[in-house]
Amino acid sequence: MKALKAEDVSDALRHSRGARVDEDVVPKFTTGERVLTRNLHPVGHTRLPRYVRARHGTIRCDYGVFIFPDAHGMGEGKKPQHLYSVCFTAQELWGPGASAHDRIYLDLWDDYLDPA
Amino acid sequence: MNGAHDLGGMHGLGPIDREIDEPVFHAEWERRCFAITVAAGFLGQWNIDMSRYARERMHPAEYLNTSYYEHWLHGLQTLLVEKGLLTEEEIAARMLELAEEQET
Repeated sequence: MKALKAEDVSDALRHSRGARVDEDVVPKFTTGERVLTRNLHPVGHTRLPRYVRARHGTIRCDYGVFIFPDAHGMGEGKKPQHLYSVCFTAQELWGPGASAHDRIYLDLWDDYLDPA
Repeated sequence: MNGAHDLGGMHGLGPIDREIDEPVFHAEWERRCFAITVAAGFLGQWNIDMSRYARERMHPAEYLNTSYYEHWLHGLQTLLVEKGLLTEEEIAARMLELAEEQET
């Protein structure tokens, strides 16, 4: 096992890798498309909050291909896929008592979404 | 997982307390906890998503009653033990040693 030495710390931190993956993966959705989030309750790691499951939203933009945390966090590989900014109305998430003007944007992966 | 970390929409916790000129660390142990966690990550035994998952698995009652870097410390201990780098007994023995040093 390789331990980090004190003299290598700043280099290691400067060159640490991000979650973006340089791989050609076909996106499932395009900007402006309506989507329905899946009603998932995995016992493992997920980045899909409870309040945004089985909710309708709109793809605002496609960030590109990223590591899928739900697989990566369980030691199941990177499962690279597209990550989007998805727009939800406050009322879709929090009901008719929420503001009619507010929007909430969440960064969501392909595996969380179905076409609406 | 549907753990205590997924707080969105929960009522009753009161307003978020915003500190003016909030320091990066509120105590020296937090600085150490951060550094040790990052350094241990370079051992290559786990990735950042596994670190998050280790924190999320804290018991919900304990999670809500502890601070951000206590979650980090708990997660690090979980990973160190799960990967076989330390045992619970070794951690407990070292804590006892440190406590005795402080007393003298």
